[in-house]
Amino acid sequence: MLADYGYIGLLLVVAIFFAVTTLLLPFSLSLPARLVIYSRRLRQYLDTHYPFLSKFVPPLPKFPKFMQIVPYNPNPVKSSTFECGMETIGTAWVRFNFRYYFYALVFIALDVLVVFLYPWAVELRQLGLFGLVVVLVFIFLIVVGYIYAWKKKVLEWK
Amino acid sequence: MTVALSGEKIASQIEKKFPESVIESTADSLLVKGDWLLEIAGYLKTTAGLDFDYLTAITAVDYYDYFEVVYQLTSLKHNHSLVLKTRCYGRDNPALPSVVNLWRGADFQEREIYDLMGIGFEGHPDLRRIVLWEGFDGHPLRKDFL
Amino acid sequence: MEVGEVYSSRQLDETEGEAINELIARSQQTIPDPDQWLDEELKRNILLTSVDAMIDWARRSSMWPVVCFPACCAFEFITTEASRFDLSRFGMEIIRGSPRQADLMITAGTLTWKMAPQVKRIYDQMAEPKWVIAMGACAISGGIFRSSYSVVPGYNRIIPVDVYVPGCPPRPEALVHGIRMLHHKISKMSIAREAK
Repeated sequence: MLADYGYIGLLLVVAIFFAVTTLLLPFSLSLPARLVIYSRRLRQYLDTHYPFLSKFVPPLPKFPKFMQIVPYNPNPVKSSTFECGMETIGTAWVRFNFRYYFYALVFIALDVLVVFLYPWAVELRQLGLFGLVVVLVFIFLIVVGYIYAWKKKVLEWK
Repeated sequence: MTVALSGEKIASQIEKKFPESVIESTADSLLVKGDWLLEIAGYLKTTAGLDFDYLTAITAVDYYDYFEVVYQLTSLKHNHSLVLKTRCYGRDNPALPSVVNLWRGADFQEREIYDLMGIGFEGHPDLRRIVLWEGFDGHPLRKDFL
Repeated sequence: MEVGEVYSSRQLDETEGEAINELIARSQQTIPDPDQWLDEELKRNILLTSVDAMIDWARRSSMWPVVCFPACCAFEFITTEASRFDLSRFGMEIIRGSPRQADLMITAGTLTWKMAPQVKRIYDQMAEPKWVIAMGACAISGGIFRSSYSVVPGYNRIIPVDVYVPGCPPRPEALVHGIRMLHHKISKMSIAREAK
């Protein structure tokens, strides 16, 4: 059945295989270790805040050894943010230069133009002279905006 | 080629301007008294014909009786170089004036000398350890460290 | 350190100095090498053996090193990595910058006390399973700089080391031999003993 779709079917098989191995398999194999940690944390929380409730939390079942392949031992240093071995100082959300925004904006406008140019270029011969004139009008409309940005010195990096 | 100026030639010039400041001058270097260091350094930097505007290196040497601090100056304009030395006596808190205001490159080098030899530099904007960590006990490159 | 505050260089230096002095005080003994399982009697059940073999094969066949190259042994590591003594045949040609994605730390170079907290932190941030190869004399015991005021006498003061590769620097063949010894060591690991 997949063979009817040719290469797309093969791609689908590969995609499913990839998703299973990279996402589902590690998730399921690490579940026992993570459940141990979570239940330990839950027990600690209950013991400190609601001591009598911890009786009602059942103990975790003993997972078979083959399910305990993927280790999960979090500790504060291990889960800390990586900054080449140093302790992080300050937050990671910094203010970016606004000039990047201008470039991105101009890019968006011209990128839309390019998207429309591609199918025109593919069907160049059929569209002929009339097509050329239409496309030139289209390009002109967008380039007006580009020239406006240029004249306003938006693209200068000071 | 950068010409290494002879200390003797410069010595006579400096003696005229600052009497009694040059202790010894050899073909390689010029040894001056510590009190006159700043003035002589300023003179060497600003005088036309000498124009030592680039400080190549500062290092310190520990002879047991004294520390000798060596300044290697270069002139980019005339392409000649000179070695200037001073001595500071006493092992407890030897001190010298800092030449940071003349040559910015002296900043880190003086910090390194302070860190490893313990020679303090007066007038340095931020004299603290640079290669070793704060809280390290002692100055390792002294001869009597270990 | 508070988030969002600005610290002067002097405060940063003082904090760093305290951290280093604390680390020196804590690292007066070497950490024992993690090889306890190598001497034990092997009690494996049959089902686990093939699973063990497969897992060990998977773990050793493409260990990714993390960047940890303080000094000159790094050049021999680079030579081993390059085309003549290929590390890519072990699946190790990709040297991860982030410790989260790495599982091997080849410590190539002399470690100073000033750098030690950073290396320890990088080791701590690696996810299990992780191994350490101490490359070169300086990594094993401080090498010729052992009596220096600023050199850590061997990486096993701060992190547990699995394989020691002697040399100053070790030739690429020696490093490859060390990597193969680590492979043999990993092939003897069993989840039955690991997961306690």
